[in-house]
Amino acid sequence: MRMSQDYAPCPCTHARHQSLAQAGSLTAFGFHSSVHMSVSRLQQLKGHIFPENKITAMAAPSPLSTHVLNTAMGVPGSNMALSLYRQDPTTNTWSLLTSRTTNADGRCPGLITKEMFIAGVYRLHFETALYWESMGETCFYPYVEIVFTIIDPGQKYHVPLLLSRFSYSTYRGS
Amino acid sequence: MMSESSPLTSHVLNTADGVPAARLPLSLHRLDPRIMIWTLLSVGTTNEDGRCAGLISREAFGPGMYKLRFETGSYWESLGQNSFYPYVEVVFTISELEQRIHLPLLMSRFSYSVYRGS
Repeated sequence: MRMSQDYAPCPCTHARHQSLAQAGSLTAFGFHSSVHMSVSRLQQLKGHIFPENKITAMAAPSPLSTHVLNTAMGVPGSNMALSLYRQDPTTNTWSLLTSRTTNADGRCPGLITKEMFIAGVYRLHFETALYWESMGETCFYPYVEIVFTIIDPGQKYHVPLLLSRFSYSTYRGS
Repeated sequence: MMSESSPLTSHVLNTADGVPAARLPLSLHRLDPRIMIWTLLSVGTTNEDGRCAGLISREAFGPGMYKLRFETGSYWESLGQNSFYPYVEVVFTISELEQRIHLPLLMSRFSYSVYRGS
């Protein structure tokens, strides 16, 4: 049978699609969209569940976030080293949970997972003197530590640091 | 009345209630750089004006790393309230024999700020 270039047979074996259909309805895999959209859609969903490209993966946001702001210069505090610790309630010793560096926006996405974020006393340690040193300045505070208590880990907590060379402030945000 | 002779002073303010933070315990420590241990220098409690006199003598306040620890959690507890911060520790560096360092703490139950004043 002669086929015009506007039409192509569906390569599947479904009897319904043995007939010709408009080429425009073919999906990327060459199957007719009305039945086989689900195939490409399944591929798409698989890509979300088992992401090969982690950048496009939809990770759950961290229940704890921070944001460093350089209030002296009116810019985010980027490339600042920080660490998060949790205190053992029985021994009162501190355990390091993660060491990170703030990004260009002064943030650390994915600071902690929901599973790791249990109730307890936490400590955020910011390397403030190193930060100012990298810009050729001194800082009155060699480091800043903010110790806070998490009673309800189901909530979201935002612990920012607004910093200059001689002052800093923090607050509990969301 | 004798003027404050300590080269290091602080002033704690309860910004939530707009009052000085009275009867707040605090302590001053210095880091021993040889063994990296904090040495307790003095303890005190803020007066009705949120201040604490006699934290350190001029002779003792040499260059080094110091820590002022404010028992903010105990303070809020004594007012029947909880607080996000069990305590506040401010670590600062003295690089030369300083005339005066004033380190106020402005705090509420869910926020605080410190600055180097005069």
